[in-house]
Order: sequence, then structure tokens, then C-alpha cells
Amino acid sequence: MDILIIQILNSIFYACILFLIATGLSLIYGVMRIVNLAHGSLYALGAYVTAWTIGTFAVGAPIWVLFLLLPAGAVAVAAVGALIEPTLLRPIYNRPEEYQLLITFALLLILEDAMHFLFGGVPLTAGAVIDSMGTMRVMDLRYPVYNLLVIAIGIAAAVFLWAFIYRTKFGVILRATSQNMRMASALGLNVKRVYVQAFALGCFMAGLGGAVVVPAQAAVLGMGIEALILAFVVVVIGGLGSLEGALIGALIVSFVRTAGIQFFPEIELAVLYLIAAVVLLVRPTGLFGRA
Amino acid sequence: MLELKAIDTYRGPAHILYGVSLRVDKQEVVCLVGRNGAGKTTTIESIMGFLPVRSGQIIFGDEDLKNLPPHERARRGIGYSPEDCGVFPELTVGENLMISRWLGDEVARRRDGKERPNPEAQAFDIFPEVQGLLHRQGLHLSGGQRKMVAVARAMMLSPRLLLLDEAFEGLAPVVVNRFIEAVMKIKAMGISILMAESHLGAATRIGDRLYAIDRGEIIFHGPPKEALADEKVVKALRG
Repeated sequence: MDILIIQILNSIFYACILFLIATGLSLIYGVMRIVNLAHGSLYALGAYVTAWTIGTFAVGAPIWVLFLLLPAGAVAVAAVGALIEPTLLRPIYNRPEEYQLLITFALLLILEDAMHFLFGGVPLTAGAVIDSMGTMRVMDLRYPVYNLLVIAIGIAAAVFLWAFIYRTKFGVILRATSQNMRMASALGLNVKRVYVQAFALGCFMAGLGGAVVVPAQAAVLGMGIEALILAFVVVVIGGLGSLEGALIGALIVSFVRTAGIQFFPEIELAVLYLIAAVVLLVRPTGLFGRA
Repeated sequence: MLELKAIDTYRGPAHILYGVSLRVDKQEVVCLVGRNGAGKTTTIESIMGFLPVRSGQIIFGDEDLKNLPPHERARRGIGYSPEDCGVFPELTVGENLMISRWLGDEVARRRDGKERPNPEAQAFDIFPEVQGLLHRQGLHLSGGQRKMVAVARAMMLSPRLLLLDEAFEGLAPVVVNRFIEAVMKIKAMGISILMAESHLGAATRIGDRLYAIDRGEIIFHGPPKEALADEKVVKALRG
């Protein structure tokens, strides 16, 4: 029973990380129709920046300093996103889709090499954060309190994003731009500015995923590729461009993955792809996507 | 107010407009008539900045708009209701209107630091029906309702010039009359209107002046009654 509770908590923890990554991917696609193959690498960059910042500036620092530095990765990745959109993506909006795939794939390779160059090949951790919070008892087992904090961050991020998109002026502008970019500009909206903001926000979400995961899992080269694949499975199941889809998709992928690791580890990923394939066949736009 | 001076516009490699010139004066309703594919929408989209103009000038007030992006043109006071209405389908009518409201307020504050007169009052005065639709999603509007919302939304910007592309298309005759009343009210508010219209009959009822366009060239300019008597215009419109 205690193992079951731990596995459920682990699934929700991982679902929160996947939600943060997938929702950024989905937001960028929803507004700009860009399938960002570099999104996983931006998640990895967030993890590296947070681990490096905490490892460099906060060794032995009090807990509040650690928490203050935790979002560093998210902020840095949002800034990188604000640079990438006008320089690399804007010139290709009016070109065939192959160009965006090529350029975002090139960006993935560049970011992977840049992380290797900047942070080296050694895994980086921010274990001080998780250690500072200790563990809690779950029947006969111990569970890190930090993981519960990540779950809380995931839930807060979902609520915040929902409110941001459906209840604020910027959210209305974002949705209008995603539905009809030409008409939005004809009403006086500076679509270029909206695109930069949307891309930076999507990158922020990926970076936040990396920043909050790194105290629990080390930042390693290649972590972005695995995250990207799973994030794609999430958005295929949930529907590209849908916030609710990213949430439900992340929960499905995370629970199936946890069960897979426990009961059928050899075919864990294959089962996820099978679910994605079935969803694509039955409902090509995903569970919550719109044609 | 608006003057097009010999503009040439292309869609991709296709040359669509050949030296189109036209003028819209203050508080005037000007109709641009032509059959489908004659170049009406291309003219409107060139004014709005969706299509690059290769040569010629688009003078609005005392400024050439040729190199400005669409949002800057809207901010200078050009309202636009496209042929497909462009109502955001997943936004409520209220949200559709609010976007123009926010931007109109921002432009007014930047221009003279003052709040402008209530734009809702103006928009609802033209189409009171829109008030009852505020909570409905754009997706769930009828064709006529979408046209009303598109015009009301353009009015929320407090424009100086309104571009209406095929405003009467697909409307029942009784609704067309409703739209003609609306255009007259807009004109009475001191706003100039340029309408792209396929039906000569409707255009002659509403326009102060009329331009006829065929194969990307202006073939007639003058009072609507003269257009009805011009064999070349009637023939071009029949195709």
C-alpha cells in the first residue's frame, strides 16, 4: 500500500514536470503554429542554469536563498526564447513548414552542444534544495517533501496559466492572435510583439520544468531529447494547442509510464507510443484539440 | 482623407492591381464595385497592409502608409471589416469587441492624453442587436450576426475611415436594408467609408461616389447613377 501511494505521488510529480514542458510546447504551437523541436533542449537548459546557479552561488546558503535562485533557469530560458523568436523563427513564418522543422532541429543541436561547452559533460545537481526540505513519512516509507512542492508548483502553474489565458487582457490578445493573426493585426495588435511574448512564455514554462526537476534529478546531456519525445506524446494525446489537453495528457503519460516501469519495463515506451497512435487514429486532433 | 495614387499590387508572382488610383474624402461613402476576382479585395488588403504595394502611394491624412505594417495603419484610424468577417471564433463577442476597445483607448491616450467618447455607445447605436450577443462565442453566430459584430468591432477603434469588404454579401434583402441604415449612421458620425461591393444595385443606393474595377484596373469613376447608365460598367459587372 505504501509503495502504491509513493508511485501515485511519483506519477503526479512527473506529470507536473511533463505538464510544464508540454504546456509550453502547446502554447507556442497554439499561437504561432511552430512545432518547436528544440523545446526539450530549452527544458534541459533550464535545469542546467538552475543547477549551475545554485551550485555556484548558494553552497551552504539558507533555504530562502535556494528558493530565490530556483527559478533562475526559467528566467534565463525565457530570455533565450525572447532572442530566438525574432532572430531565428520570424524569418521563416511565411515559408513552408519544413523550414521551421529544420531550424528548430538545428537549434536543438546547437543548444545541446552549447550546454556541453558551457557546463561540461558532468551531471549537475541542485540536491541542496531537496536536502534542505527533508522527507516525510508515508506509512513505512519516506518521501521527499520537495516533490510535494513541485506538485504544488505544477497545480499553481496550471491554475495561473488558465487564469492568464482566459481571464486577462493579454490572454484575450493571445487567443485572438492564435485564431486569426491577420485580423488581430488589422485591429491594431502588434503581432510580432505578441509572438515574442508567447514564445518567451512557452520557453519560460520549459525552463521552469527544468528548474524544478533539477533538485530531484541531475541535469545531464540528452535529458532534453527524452523530455521532448514524452512532451510530444503528451500533446498528441491531449491535443496540440490545448491547455487542458496538456494537463490530461501529462497525467496519462506519467501514470502509464510509472505503471510501465513497475510492471512491463521492456515495453514501457512502446505502450505510450501505442496510446498516442490509437488517439491519432481515433481522434487526430487529440482528446482536447480542435481541427 | 485617403488617396491611392497609381498602386501596383501582386499576390505572389501574379500582378493583380495595375495603377489603381482612388480617393475617399471626409464623411463620404465611396463604393468600389467589380465582379469576383476583379481586384476589390486586393485593393482593400493593399490599403490595410496585408499585401505589399510595389509602386504608387497610399496617402492617409498627410502620411504615406505604404511601408507601415497593418497594426500601425489600424492605429492611425483605419477600421476594417473583411469579407469573411474575421470574427475570432473561440472568443465571445464581448471579447472580440474588447480588443478594439483596448487598442482604441491606448491610441486615444497616446494621441492627446485623453479618454475618447464611449465607443460602445457608438457601436451599439449602429447595431443594437450586438448587445444581446456579448456572451456568445463567435463560432455560434449566424452570417448576418457575424457581419454586424465585424462592423461593430471596427467601430470600437473609433476609426476615421472604415473599410468594408463585401458587407452585404450573403445577406437577406431585409438585412441588407438594415446594413444600409447602419452605413448611413456611420457616415453621419463623421466617418468615411470605402466599400468593396459586387452588386451595383446596392452600391448605387449607398455610395456618394463609385469606382468600378475590372481585371485590376479602374474602368469608371463618378456618381452612382452614371455607373448604371454606363454600358462598359454594367458589362464588366455581368462578366
